[in-house]
Amino acid sequence: MVDAARQPKIDVRAFTEVERVEGFVGNFKVTFREKAKYVRADRCNGCGDCAKVCPIEVPNYFEMNLAPRKAAYVPMSQSVPLIYSIDMDACIHCYKCVEACGPLEAIDFSQQDKLATEDIGAIIVATGFSHFDPSVMEEYGYGKFPNVITSMEMERLNNSAGPTNGNLVRPTDHKNPAKLAFINCVGSRDKRYNESCSNFCCMYSIKNAVLLKQVNPSLDITIYYMDIRTPSKGYEEFYDRARKMGIKFIQGRPSLITEDQATHNLTVHSEDVSLGKVIDHEYDMVMLNQAAIPQPDQGHVSSVLNVVQSPGGWFMEYHPKLRPMDSPTDGIFFAGACQGPKDIPASVAQGSAAASRAGRILHSDKWQIEPTVAVVWPDRCVSAQGRPCGICAKACPYGAIDYEQGRAALVISAKCHGCGACVGECPHDSITQLHYTDAQLLAQVRALLATEPEKKILAFRCHWCSYGGADLAGTSHFEYSANERGIKVMCSARMDSDFIYEAYRLGAGGVLYSGCHPQDCHYITGQVIGAKRAQRLSAMFERMQMTPGRFRVEWISAAEGDKYARVVNEMQAVLDSMSPEQLHNEIERLRPEMTKRLNRFPNVPGVQVAMDFSDGLSTRMISKEQLV
Amino acid sequence: MIHETELNRFSNQVRAIPDGEPLDMCYSCGTCTSKCMIQQKLDPEYNPRRLLHMVMLDMREEAYNHPTIWLCSECDICYPACPQKIHISGVLMAVRSLAVQDGKRSLIEPAQVDEQTCVACGLCVAVCPYDAIELVNKKIPYRGLINVAQVNSAKCMACGLCGAVCRSTSIGIHAEFSNDKVVGDLWKWLNPLPEVTI
Repeated sequence: MVDAARQPKIDVRAFTEVERVEGFVGNFKVTFREKAKYVRADRCNGCGDCAKVCPIEVPNYFEMNLAPRKAAYVPMSQSVPLIYSIDMDACIHCYKCVEACGPLEAIDFSQQDKLATEDIGAIIVATGFSHFDPSVMEEYGYGKFPNVITSMEMERLNNSAGPTNGNLVRPTDHKNPAKLAFINCVGSRDKRYNESCSNFCCMYSIKNAVLLKQVNPSLDITIYYMDIRTPSKGYEEFYDRARKMGIKFIQGRPSLITEDQATHNLTVHSEDVSLGKVIDHEYDMVMLNQAAIPQPDQGHVSSVLNVVQSPGGWFMEYHPKLRPMDSPTDGIFFAGACQGPKDIPASVAQGSAAASRAGRILHSDKWQIEPTVAVVWPDRCVSAQGRPCGICAKACPYGAIDYEQGRAALVISAKCHGCGACVGECPHDSITQLHYTDAQLLAQVRALLATEPEKKILAFRCHWCSYGGADLAGTSHFEYSANERGIKVMCSARMDSDFIYEAYRLGAGGVLYSGCHPQDCHYITGQVIGAKRAQRLSAMFERMQMTPGRFRVEWISAAEGDKYARVVNEMQAVLDSMSPEQLHNEIERLRPEMTKRLNRFPNVPGVQVAMDFSDGLSTRMISKEQLV
Repeated sequence: MIHETELNRFSNQVRAIPDGEPLDMCYSCGTCTSKCMIQQKLDPEYNPRRLLHMVMLDMREEAYNHPTIWLCSECDICYPACPQKIHISGVLMAVRSLAVQDGKRSLIEPAQVDEQTCVACGLCVAVCPYDAIELVNKKIPYRGLINVAQVNSAKCMACGLCGAVCRSTSIGIHAEFSNDKVVGDLWKWLNPLPEVTI
């Protein structure tokens, strides 16, 4: 931190909040709120005289409320920059600090919050994590029994700069404990509170136990665990070392802690899974290794930055394996535990990666975007004709569409990721997606259904998940019906209902509408838009009394090759169960409705050309100009 | 596609019963066992965690003969404590119903009815928490065709509630906690006999 403050190119702004973020990669406009410290940063030299004379004491958050701090304070002694601030919620305006400061005149009670807007090229979010409050778990008695403490409190008690100068004492009688228990997974791996594993607590409790044992080898330390997870280099060796030092490990999750009212000793009641017996052990002190949880204001930050949160509340990365430091919005990166609980080496690695990713943006004059961005035909957009619409802007997961009634919608290409949600949603077909134009996809539909369409199963697959699933089905040699014909689009949100109408108009046997699972979508909320449309289509086909199973909506991930094969085979089984006459009659019955729904489709630029081309069944090539 | 043999597997049979579905979520933390009153007061061999593991590994005979499935009283103290939200007694009941289907008998000695004195008042039917008692019309020696209470031994948990409410002392558990023994104990506590010295 000190190094960062000394580096001339790094500007540390403490006590400053990001208020608004506008713009796009390389051209963000960020509004900061610099909060009033009531101390002038240019004059304060961090001598601490104000804190010495301040008569007000409030609980010190940094010391886990185990020690007091003054109303004039720095959060911790290593704070960077070392500038005091005055806590106005606690200050009684006695102005003793002003006197103590003397000729420096650093204290300024007239300060106000300052708002400033700046041009920013890239943003790295490193807001960290918070910890679970174990007092809601009544069985562990945290908050009720004083000798049950959390690991963060233990961390302060064991710290040489902490409130007890590193002397670990029991809160009840201030004596050094002789028998200690650590309980892992408090609130984590627990469906009642936080489902996920907090990643670092196993190593963290072993580290604390080893530290304590080094200071006092006669300490009796027991770690209660469900599973010990030591997955990185050198971690297992550390676990070995802890066992060699005589730290006991009991596999079993304690179900109850009781307190002896006279001695305030604690009895931990658990099953020892290895023994298969229920055991009670008495300890002087119990440490709860509480779960890592997202920051309480993570939702606020995500709405300011327009990044999304994963189901657990952490920020969602672009891709969990390949781009874990990128947010789905270009130019915003994640570092550390705000993206998911992780330990120090992983946080450092991610931080460095995020910094180099951000540096790439700052050092390039041009930014490469996906070639599949959306483009508006201004003459077709109804907004240009003065009618209210804005459906595309609502559909866009990235906020890339600038919509204002009275002029044609405008796609900001730098923000567009090319999912095609706006294209699929536009009721007037006024937007197209480059390389996935209506005409191109229509030509594919027609080509695939050129012969014996009633035997074919037309599968729309999204690029990231279902296409990968189909690919995996092939490479894993899962057999599925040879009548399946696939069309790749970028996202299930691009699967325009027009293509499905056209497929049924041509007499397709079945249509599969497949995409990512909602939490896997590579375009933030693209799948949600696709799913809504699919639901509408399913309901419509149900009303039309289409045989169930001829239109299937399935969310298939790239790892679910078996599911892809199974779904296609099930659809084939439905087709096999129908007699040719029955299928023919059903197709004929639906055709007029499908034709009606498609009557405006040929007006879309390029579509008529594509239709003529496939109708003529000629082999001539169409020039690109005709198609787009 | 699931094959016929797959369906016959013990674990799949348990999963097919509604409460048996979350079986696989168990990661053997032991919270249920250390919460269980039966384990602590009655039988140290009792262990729901082990039983769930036996089911996962298709150990049908071992599970059927384990006291856990027969002694569970469905008090559900373990249910809110389970970090994986498994309805453990539901899984145990699923295994128990399979065991009964396979002709296994409960390890618990069920309540006995004295058919000569039962008057079929129905009080025991009303109080039984396990729905184990019903009134049946049957032919009793010396009494003819009359209604009497009948205990379903697969359901009875031998709690003794029927014996406590019966006004004609015709029903009750006859093992360790029979009416006579409990009454005898009560008398002993109320009127301790003076120590006799000769």
